[in-house]
Amino acid sequence: MNAGEGDPGRTTQLPSGLEVRSRLILEEGLSRIDAPTRSRLNQARQAAVAAAARPSLLARWLGPMGRQALMPAGAAAVAVLVAVFVLSGGHQLTASVADNPASALDVLDLVTDDDAMNLMEDNDSSFYEWAAAQGDGSTQSGGQAAGGATT
Amino acid sequence: MPATSRGDTLLNDTAEARSRALNQFLASVELKAYKIAQAGLRHQDDALDAVQDAMLQLARAYSNRPEEEWKPLFYRILENRIRDMQRRRTVRGRVMAWLPFRRDEDEEDVDPIAQAPSPDLPPVARLELDEAMTALDGALEQLPDRQRQAFLLRNLEGLDVAQTAKAMGCSEGSVKTHYFRALQALRQKLGEFEQ
Repeated sequence: MNAGEGDPGRTTQLPSGLEVRSRLILEEGLSRIDAPTRSRLNQARQAAVAAAARPSLLARWLGPMGRQALMPAGAAAVAVLVAVFVLSGGHQLTASVADNPASALDVLDLVTDDDAMNLMEDNDSSFYEWAAAQGDGSTQSGGQAAGGATT
Repeated sequence: MPATSRGDTLLNDTAEARSRALNQFLASVELKAYKIAQAGLRHQDDALDAVQDAMLQLARAYSNRPEEEWKPLFYRILENRIRDMQRRRTVRGRVMAWLPFRRDEDEEDVDPIAQAPSPDLPPVARLELDEAMTALDGALEQLPDRQRQAFLLRNLEGLDVAQTAKAMGCSEGSVKTHYFRALQALRQKLGEFEQ
């Protein structure tokens, strides 16, 4: 087996040759992006930054004084909504999900994910060994694997 | 200086600093985002549209969020946009298939200048690099969407497992699965990359 993340026997999580080489090739691909595309990306960025700097339509319409005037009214409305939710027993609706939200999400993710189901059906033990070996160091391995790509 | 005017100045300074930070962030991700969108959509204009939409949505809805949240949020938006466009294209393809006189809009002309290799490499190395790029692009195209996303977000963008999970909207376990599977598939197709 090739050295890398697919090898469960590895003790240190260094990027494999495949990961290193493919990252270099992908970065070379970035450097080959042509000037018109770069220019369009630059224009899109400028438009986004300008959009972030512009206040929303409602904020412009209300102005600073209007926003200050509406703040207490908004807070009161939120308080009323919370009170209605609590009094109507809304907490009972969320109790079952609150019991174990993480497992519920995992199951949903597994069921909606074809690849994960395939993996279960394949009984791919090498993956589980590899995942267990990663443990808490999984984020580090990813960082190491791709750290050089971050600019 | 009156208190309100001092407050206004402070607000303007903060807004300017945030605009600068947003500009820097978007500049740092735009090329990689474009590459990821292009790998998913295989169409230059669609990829540019997807990146542009993601930038705008991040700027409008999330620019006030802490900066460390921007990257996973941006890629989450981008992935959703790519998926939307893929679905729309599938529907459009089905409709177009019924039309007698249709033109395949997904076929685009290849720009020879854009495809030109790096000028500072020796010819043999350039040829090898070109072949490797073609092979990698082809192998990535054949990966399932989620595996390709996991591979590119981790290997090209450098996100860790937790950030990739946020960007893909799935659990960290799923990210590990997709990434592992992607590596397995690429290794089968590109064994010589290991040398």
